[in-house]
Amino acid sequence: MRASRAVVVVGVLLALATMPWWARDQYQLHLAALIGVYWILIAGLNLVVGYSGQLSIGHVGLLAIGAYGFAILTGRYEWGPWWALAASGGLGSLCGLLLGLPSLRLPGFYFAMATLAFALIVTEISLAQGDLTGGGTGLPVPGFTAPFDSPGGFHALVLIVAVLITWLTWNVARFMWGRALIAVRDSVVTAQAVGVPVFRAKLLVFVLSGLTAGVAGALFASLQSYITPDTFVFELGLFFFVCIIIGGRGTIVGPLIGTAVLTALPEIVAPLARWSTFFYGLLLLAVVLLVPEGIGHMVEIVRARLRPRSLASFAVAPDAERLARCLRSEPRR
Amino acid sequence: MSTLAARDVTKAFGGLTALAEVSLEVAPSEIHGLIGPNGSGKTTLLNALSGYYLADAGRVTLGEADLTRVSVQRRAFAGVARTFQKPRLLPTLTVVDNVMLGGWPAVRSSFFGTALSWLRARREEKVLRERAEELLHGVGLAPVMTRRASLLEHAEQRFAEIARGLMAGPRFLLLDEPAGGLTPHEIEQLGVVIRTVRDAGIGVLLVEHHTDFVFRLSDRVTALDLGRVIRQGTPAEVRHDAEVIRVYLGA
Ligand SMILES: Nc1ncnc2c1ncn2[C@@H]1O[C@H](COP(=O)(O)OP(=O)(O)OP(=O)(O)O)[C@@H](O)[C@H]1O
Ligand SMILES: [Mg+2]
Repeated sequence: MRASRAVVVVGVLLALATMPWWARDQYQLHLAALIGVYWILIAGLNLVVGYSGQLSIGHVGLLAIGAYGFAILTGRYEWGPWWALAASGGLGSLCGLLLGLPSLRLPGFYFAMATLAFALIVTEISLAQGDLTGGGTGLPVPGFTAPFDSPGGFHALVLIVAVLITWLTWNVARFMWGRALIAVRDSVVTAQAVGVPVFRAKLLVFVLSGLTAGVAGALFASLQSYITPDTFVFELGLFFFVCIIIGGRGTIVGPLIGTAVLTALPEIVAPLARWSTFFYGLLLLAVVLLVPEGIGHMVEIVRARLRPRSLASFAVAPDAERLARCLRSEPRR
Repeated sequence: MSTLAARDVTKAFGGLTALAEVSLEVAPSEIHGLIGPNGSGKTTLLNALSGYYLADAGRVTLGEADLTRVSVQRRAFAGVARTFQKPRLLPTLTVVDNVMLGGWPAVRSSFFGTALSWLRARREEKVLRERAEELLHGVGLAPVMTRRASLLEHAEQRFAEIARGLMAGPRFLLLDEPAGGLTPHEIEQLGVVIRTVRDAGIGVLLVEHHTDFVFRLSDRVTALDLGRVIRQGTPAEVRHDAEVIRVYLGA
């Protein structure tokens, strides 16, 4: 089971890494890079939404901050792209911290509204601060240095960053912090009982998601090569959120698939391009109604259907000696 | 010897006084039974000890330490573990994952540390998993270890909660009606677990309506009525107290 999963991961990575050699055209490369950039943001957001259960719909604001940060630092202040990329990540996490501090104490619905307000404010600022941001006309964005300046090179850069970020979030998700976040999502009372610092846990994932959104913003700006406030419409924030809901909560693969499918959807139904929003809606509806756990849990669900494990109850039979031995060996603090 | 104690704890909800100057002490290696009619304040007292309610007046202490204003989480770190009247497991996680969560106070890896240095987190993980599996064997839940908690029977949930409470190696374990909804046979098994826990040096507060079970198991018993202590003493003393019989046990 584990080995076969590793084979799949390596296979997919190889396919993606060699894409510049087998892609049919530049546009496919561009699309793959776009999926990668979105995923970098969504990987962090997934810990916030899918694991800790905080419904942020305003991460597009953090994406915009990373993008404008990158464009302004490289264009106006002539920073090197690498420094600007790092700065965008830092800026994103700082804004995550500043947004999270007051809003993460709010109950779910009000938190979602706070993130929505944040995204709207960012858009307004980017319009109003015309000197810096170019206002409604926007800004051109410089690319990266060689060898990352070609479409193939940029694709490779995105792939490397995406793998790194995925790995970071996977480490969070699979160990004790992942359980703590799920406890925060499903039962705050339980989280408290075992000692999880609920607010701090929420804030830490939010800051991490700010970091990934900032980095994604920088790469996104560079990929688009020109940004305006219209690039960061509120629907984009909803789109990120929907990718996670369709993918399923408490999994990484699900939202990854969700991101790839939803980003590529307009291309798949190219003849019906005008209908792409309709298909988002249809897909969302289908998932929510048919597999509310999300597509990331579909394998589990199907397997459980095919091989219904006998839930035959058994008599709980404690083993006092074993329990006593275990209690004597304290997990020392 | 450090005890977990409530000293003259008072707690009111609006006009209703749920606890009126209640004092109670749980010693290490002791099973302390807490009985009383519905609404007499048993769960409220347990919440005051574990930190979910802050006392309006009075103090909560653990040994020398004053816990009166201390958060639930810090009390967990100080060695106070509990279960709930209605079991609260995380439904999407497996049983062993639920139990491992109880080991949170033993976790040393920071958030960003876990993200970056997975080796240490993985070592920690291994130790925690081994202990959780041992505990599950100990309380008799080994066959359902990898089952999602949402699929557990009621009795299994109760035992899993106890295992989670024991995960961090607590000094005190507070049980809110652990026998509720269990069959007589399962209650016997529960008794075995609770005695083993006590014999390992842990102080147990046992809130229960199954009075026979409480009197059989406890070293000391406190009886509450309308938020007041009406009798405290050995099981025999409390069982034969006229007031306790009148308000709770019946003739
Ligand atoms: N959060 C709360 N807000 C308002 N009233 C409360 C609250 N918690 C408890 N009470 C009241 O305090 C009194 C004591 O309740 P408590 O739950 O402690 O009783 P109990 O002894 O545990 O009862 P039971 O045996 O039914 O579990 C009850 O009258 C209850 O309605
Ligand atoms: Mg109660």
